[in-house]
Amino acid sequence: SSSSGHSRMSAGGNLFTRGLRYLASKEFRSYLCSTHFWGPVANWGLPLAALADVKKNPEMISGKMTTALFFYSMAFMRFAWRVQPRNMLLFACHFTNDTAQLVQLCRFTDYWYVKDEAQRQQLRRQYEDAAGEAAAEVAVAEPKK
Amino acid sequence: MSAVYRAAIKVADRFVPAKLQPLWNHEAGPKTIFFWAPTFKWALVIAGIADLRRPAERLSLTQSTALAATGLIWSRYSMVIVPKNWNLFSVNIFVAATGLYQLARIVNYRRELEARN
Repeated sequence: SSSSGHSRMSAGGNLFTRGLRYLASKEFRSYLCSTHFWGPVANWGLPLAALADVKKNPEMISGKMTTALFFYSMAFMRFAWRVQPRNMLLFACHFTNDTAQLVQLCRFTDYWYVKDEAQRQQLRRQYEDAAGEAAAEVAVAEPKK
Repeated sequence: MSAVYRAAIKVADRFVPAKLQPLWNHEAGPKTIFFWAPTFKWALVIAGIADLRRPAERLSLTQSTALAATGLIWSRYSMVIVPKNWNLFSVNIFVAATGLYQLARIVNYRRELEARN
């Protein structure tokens, strides 16, 4: 039978229904229960933590840990690519982590090696003021008995 | 670059003693990423131990939590996968331990700050 344009009767259904059917399939459900899924999920904490830290005071960045994480994620990007079966979720996790750690490394280098002490003092005061304001807001919202 | 690497490996191949050949040529052996990636995770432990000297106010709560969580979960998973991976298990135990220790330091420090205020 011939179908024209975006007929809902096209082979297997349209992309959306095919997608939903895949999500409901046994294959996908067993993947969700496997270590191939939950292992990488556990690792996503690292890039998410780094992305959250990008807004914070650069003095919180550990140069050693950030460098170690950068090389570690590079190694695991290749690991995720070469492992059988190929694990794209793990690859995406470590790719994101490398980007985030690189951003933190640049912030760290800029803060300690490009800026001068006066600029650092100014930034320190800015972060302290911001922290003071946040604490004051909390104190107003939850009055102590 | 890869030509240099291959030449170096050819030379090294001759020096590996016969007894160690099966390990050297193993599909998860030192010529593969399956060996070096978990081995490199030890750098996270070393960095974590070096960071023990950092003052508690300079530590990142989110990063320590993430490291502790990933260490704990992967320690369990390395015993569940087939074959069991003791290298991965041991490194993740240490990642979890250093992460949890740093987390304890941060929590204690913040509690002290609140108590003082």
